[in-house]
Amino acid sequence: MKSMAWRGNVNFYSGVLLVAVATVALTYIRSLVIGTVLQMGPGYFPFGLALILLGMGLCLMVKGIVVGGSPVGQFHLRPLVFVLLSFAAFGVLIERAGLILAVLAQVAVAHHASRETTFRESIVTGAALAVASSVLFVWLLRIPVGLLP
Amino acid sequence: MMDVFSLLGHGFVVAATPANLFFCLVGAVCGTLIGVLPGLGPVATISLLLPATFALDPLAAIIMLSGIYYGAQYGGSTTAILVNIPGESTSVVTAIDGYKMAQQGRAGEALAIAAIGSFIAGCIGTLAIAVAGPPLALMTQKFASPDYFSLMVLGLVSAVVLANSSVFRAISMILLGLLLGMVGMDINTGEARMTFGLVELSDGINFVALVMGLFGVAEVIANLEDVSVRIVNHSRIGSIWPTFKVLRGAWGAVMRGTLVGTIFGILPGGGATIASFSAYALEKRIARDPSRFGNGAIEGVAAPESANNAAAQTSFVPLLTMGIPTSATMALMVGALTLHGIAPGPMIISRQPDLFWGLIASMFLGNAMLVIINLPMIGIWVRLLAVPYRILFLAIVVICAIGVFSVNNSSFDVYMTIGFTLLGYILRKLDAEPAPLLMGFVLGPMVEENFRRSLITSHGDPMIFLQRPISLTLLVLSAALLISIAMPSIGKRRTEVFQE
Repeated sequence: MKSMAWRGNVNFYSGVLLVAVATVALTYIRSLVIGTVLQMGPGYFPFGLALILLGMGLCLMVKGIVVGGSPVGQFHLRPLVFVLLSFAAFGVLIERAGLILAVLAQVAVAHHASRETTFRESIVTGAALAVASSVLFVWLLRIPVGLLP
Repeated sequence: MMDVFSLLGHGFVVAATPANLFFCLVGAVCGTLIGVLPGLGPVATISLLLPATFALDPLAAIIMLSGIYYGAQYGGSTTAILVNIPGESTSVVTAIDGYKMAQQGRAGEALAIAAIGSFIAGCIGTLAIAVAGPPLALMTQKFASPDYFSLMVLGLVSAVVLANSSVFRAISMILLGLLLGMVGMDINTGEARMTFGLVELSDGINFVALVMGLFGVAEVIANLEDVSVRIVNHSRIGSIWPTFKVLRGAWGAVMRGTLVGTIFGILPGGGATIASFSAYALEKRIARDPSRFGNGAIEGVAAPESANNAAAQTSFVPLLTMGIPTSATMALMVGALTLHGIAPGPMIISRQPDLFWGLIASMFLGNAMLVIINLPMIGIWVRLLAVPYRILFLAIVVICAIGVFSVNNSSFDVYMTIGFTLLGYILRKLDAEPAPLLMGFVLGPMVEENFRRSLITSHGDPMIFLQRPISLTLLVLSAALLISIAMPSIGKRRTEVFQE
């Protein structure tokens, strides 16, 4: 973020978010039958909702520009990126490599999400989690997933 | 009245099977655990354990999940009193006088009163469900689709109360949730809607992925951002057996707190947090010497702890009798029941009496277990605080991932969780709470169905919502509630209570 320029505020960006969601929704609703009040099609209700959301989003954007609002909270990329990546690692590996490797990979990635984690603690935790989840989920709850590739 | 007791007796028979007792205990222990641990709330935990309940029968599942919720109310007070860190938002006010008492060497006294007050309040709250439930359900059975639609509107408006942000933005979050709830197959035509052509979305957005992302994982990330505080327990607990004098001093506060909690729990938009704040404010107002509050007044522990437990129980009333969730936790219960093939609503009591009365009986049993779990075993829970978050969060993300995956055994749901985590994180940064969104998401399909059905019966005349007396009453109530939240004077009082 630039330090001098207008940074926006929660109202403005909430508005942007709503407008974006509503626009995406509207483009996908376009292919649906809207219908009339008497003969409501599958698109009727979502179409109405998306229109209202679009309107509210625009109102919030205007409010954010004209009236202002509290500043947006600071983004800390480290925990966000690594926690999300750890889920991606789990998702990619679980069906291909089995539960044990998926858990270990997730812990290995999530380890970097915090500055306070230590290598030894995370290894022990990861191993314990791999064993515990194998016993609990595969053996006791019988989730149909392989343990190893 | 006699009828209630015989039905309740039947409930005890159902709830006291070894399996159900076991799951009640598991729920109570899990609840206490997450209540003690700050940074892990009941919403996140229930969504975490939701997939694990698929293998159970519906009654055992709901017994366990509700045990987590009211168990968390007990556990939350422990850390609030001992280390001045409320484990749950419902125990924030308890910390004010509770921690002072701990510093004065009266921690045992505070813990005992909190547990005893919680137990009494929990039992009375549960009794309130048993007594108020059946007549309310009978009333709701007379509802036609326009009335249902208006009831949903009332439920959604009440979700606005749950949010701290502005009314306008809270409403936009509800609508966003409604829209997300539309994704998937249209109930009437079977046509796919807003699925982006993905087969995985044809059954709609996976509820567990949404909740886990918005609440569970997003919360973990938010916790990781905070510089962690080393928790050190200085105070000695002392005797956990309160003297007669203490009991007599706390008695009135327990009763008033229970009453406040019972009422707030049933009211839409009430819930345990607001109940505990209101009970504390009430005690302070009627006290002969208000200056004692903040300096270790026993009433300041007794009232809010009783109130949050009573409210935790009675918030099940709107859910079980009308199918309307009044808080994010109750929205989760709707999801849990639906996943088990039970439609929450007025028919539960008549069609699934075992479930309704079994659940109520289990709440009595669970509350009794919790007193034992929390008082004599207090030392174990305190030691748990020593587990550092840098280890805990690893366990949480792994359980989240396995849990989401196991719902449909699909990696797609895991990727969807990533998306909702990102959304939840952004919403947090924008000061928009995800709770109203969840309410909208859960109620979305029902809102649409009743809306469409109403307009078909009225031949497209929207006046039908105002012509039916029940529907009109509910809409007027919704409007009144909305106006009262939007009014600055009341809004100011709300923030005042939160600041106290």
